[in-house]
This record gives sequence, C-alpha cells and structure tokens, in this order.
Amino acid sequence: MINDFKHSQYAHCESGVVSSMLTNSGLKISEPMAFGLTSTLSFAFFPIVKVNGMPLIAYRAIPKNIINKIEKSLKIKLFKKSFRNMLEANLELDKALENGKLVGLQTSVFYLPYMPSDMRFHFNAHNLLVYGKIEKNYQISDPVFENIVECSQKDLIKARFAKGVFSPKGFMYYVDKLPKNIEFETILKKAIRKNAKSMLTVFPYAGVRGMRKLVSHIEKLQEKDERYIKNYLTHIVRMQEEIGTGGGGFRYLYAAFLKEAIKYNLDVDKLNKASELLTLSGDTLRNFALKCVESAKKIERFNPKEISDILIEASNYEEKAFKILKSI
Amino acid sequence: MASFVPNESNSTLNGQQKVMYAKNSSGEFNRVNYGSSAEEFATLNAVNEYKELENEALIEIKNSISSPIKYFMYKNRMDLPTLCGFVNMFGFRVKRHLKMKYFLKLDDKILEKYAKAFDITLLELKSFKND
Repeated sequence: MINDFKHSQYAHCESGVVSSMLTNSGLKISEPMAFGLTSTLSFAFFPIVKVNGMPLIAYRAIPKNIINKIEKSLKIKLFKKSFRNMLEANLELDKALENGKLVGLQTSVFYLPYMPSDMRFHFNAHNLLVYGKIEKNYQISDPVFENIVECSQKDLIKARFAKGVFSPKGFMYYVDKLPKNIEFETILKKAIRKNAKSMLTVFPYAGVRGMRKLVSHIEKLQEKDERYIKNYLTHIVRMQEEIGTGGGGFRYLYAAFLKEAIKYNLDVDKLNKASELLTLSGDTLRNFALKCVESAKKIERFNPKEISDILIEASNYEEKAFKILKSI
Repeated sequence: MASFVPNESNSTLNGQQKVMYAKNSSGEFNRVNYGSSAEEFATLNAVNEYKELENEALIEIKNSISSPIKYFMYKNRMDLPTLCGFVNMFGFRVKRHLKMKYFLKLDDKILEKYAKAFDITLLELKSFKND
C-alpha cells in the first residue's frame, strides 16, 4: 500500500487513472496531457453497432487507447494482464498491492456498489485505481468521485469479470518502469498531428465527417415513433455528457491540452487558435445537448434541422482547428 | 474570457459533483465542479426506459407470451448481447428463451446459467409468476 497516495477527481476515468497513476509514481502528467499525448480525441458514429438498441456514438477513441498509447509515446513500461481465472486475478492484484503498486483496473459500472443506482448500467470500460486493501475491502481512487471509496473483494470480482461489450476479463495494469528523460517537443508534435489526421479522415463514419453523418440520421428520425426519438436524442446526450464529461467535455480536455503544450516550444499561435476553436466546439456541443434534451421533453417541438445545424457548426470548428494542427 | 459552467442540480449523482475543464478569467484551464440538469434528464430517461420495458415484460408474462428471463434481463438493465455474454449462448437461442413457450421446456442446467447471471436462485427464476 502506498501511504502518501493522493486522490484527485478527474473529468474522465481512463485519462484520470493514467494521470493519477503516473503522478503518484513520480512522473507528473496532467489529465489533459494523458489525453492529448495519446491522440484520444475522436468522434465515431457506427449505426450498425448497437448499444442498448441504439447506434454507437463515441466522442473519444476506444477504451484502453490511453493506456496502450501512453506506453508507446512516453516509453513507459506498464505491466498489463487479462485473466480467465477469477482466483488468479485476485491473487495477482493482492500481490501487486503488497509490492506497493498502484493498480489500474477495468471494471463494469453496474457491479460497483459505491456507484449511485441511477448511474449503474452495463458499461464495461470503467477505469479505477486500487491503492490498498484492508481485510476484505479494497481502497479505491475512482477518478470521477470527489473522495476515495471502498469496495468488497466479492463485488470487485463481479465488476472485473462482467460480460458483454468491452468485457474487462479482469484486466489490470500498473507502472513497471518510468523513462529517464522525455523529449516532449517531438512527442507532442507527433501526437497532435496524428490526432488531426484521424479527425480529418475521409472515412465517413469517423472524425468531422462522422459528426455530419450523425446529422443525416437525426434528420431521418422524424419517421420514427415518439419513444424511439426520445430514446435516441437522450442516448446522444448520455454518450456525450455522462461518458463525455460535461457537454463537450472531451473538447475542453483537448483544448486544455493544447494550452499546456505551449510550454514545450511549439507554435504558440497555432496552439492558441486551435484551443480557442475546440473550446467553441465544446460550447456548441453543450448547446446541442441542451437542444436534444429540450426536444426529448417536448417532442412536438422536435425540429431536426434546428438540432442538426448546431452539430454542423461544431463540426466546422473542429475541421478548422485540426487543419491548423495538422501543420504543427 | 471565462467559460460558462452549469451549476444545476443532478439527482442521479447522489449529492456528488463531477468535474470538467473550464477556462478562468485569465484564460487558463482548471478543473471545476459542475451540475447539469440535461445530463440528469438523459440518465433518468435511460433508467425509466428500463422500468417501462420491465413493466411491459410483466404484462407479457401474465399473458404467457414472454418468460421471466425477459423480466429479469430488463430488471438488471441488460440488453440481449449483454445477457448472451453472461450465459455464453448465441443471440437466437437466448431470444427463444425469452418466450414463455420455450422457457417452460428448459432444463435446470440452462436455467441455472440465467439465475447466476441475474444473481438470483434457481427457485426464484422458476417460480416467478405475475398474478
């Protein structure tokens, strides 16, 4: 157990755990840095892949992206392991804790007893940090909570071995080796350019184009029944707010990252301009969410064009921002 | 320019607050607490949708159309692919078990898998009635 462990609350679980884990291990990496260095900002709309009967809409790259990419970009060595056997998974976790490691776990929100009941859905890619164990209870730093929490061994096993999409299979990770010196300037340039490329991809279901693809589907909603429209609109908002942290949460996170990158000798004008544009996109996405909720509340006032225009506006800001960043 | 940070109540968080990144008056980003009623509405809509599906299942069970598995699936906020993952069966098979006609023919070994997925006893699943 690490005695001087310091819990902080973060905007998002995976970037939060990685930031907290590295910072508490002696390498200070802020949450925006963990998010930006791994080129995690994204938009994906996959109407064929269904989540609770609704199309998959993601505002960030797939789960584990931050964990895997942070290793590569900073040359950190993480110990990572998935399990088939619950008993083995538990022993390995306890062993790591005894060795003083901070252990990241992938879990299902549904089985974590400290989660408010309205938040408990079968979302399998929630990350948390275990920093100790007292008798049969694990001490947990869950990045989206204000304070540290506890979870019994029995419940944690359930959460680690939940089934369904993104099933965690007991996945755990901790810092094995930290790099000596990090060339932030080169790494940052590469990460920013990479993210710009993925946001400007020609693939019609991702990045800026993915946002516009969603627009065309919102416009088709009118043919559906009330219940479906209501579920669809709130689904968009849930993917954006609950998992996307406060309106355009991921956009603000990336905008904060660009501001922080200025320190490392990168083009100040370009970073400032792009950060400004992504903040605008975040604000616009929040308006978009408000309009979706308003329409879901009063379906007779549902005006697809009005909602779609806001999303198009956000996509325009992002296109401009990433065109600038592509040349950093 | 400082960011606008919503400060509305959100009952789904049990009194907790989440954080987001927002600009302060000197243009730097910080973590700040926020509360969003839009987020609250979206979450409650999802919670209520499951409740509604649960109630519809109860009526279908009463009319011997659907099986208790359907009720417990929605009660545990699962969709079909999630339940398939837990019982390790194909979708078409699970879909069949959601119908009362096929449910009545299932042996205990298979029912046990479902009971385990829902964290209930075999008896609770077998004797579940809606009258």
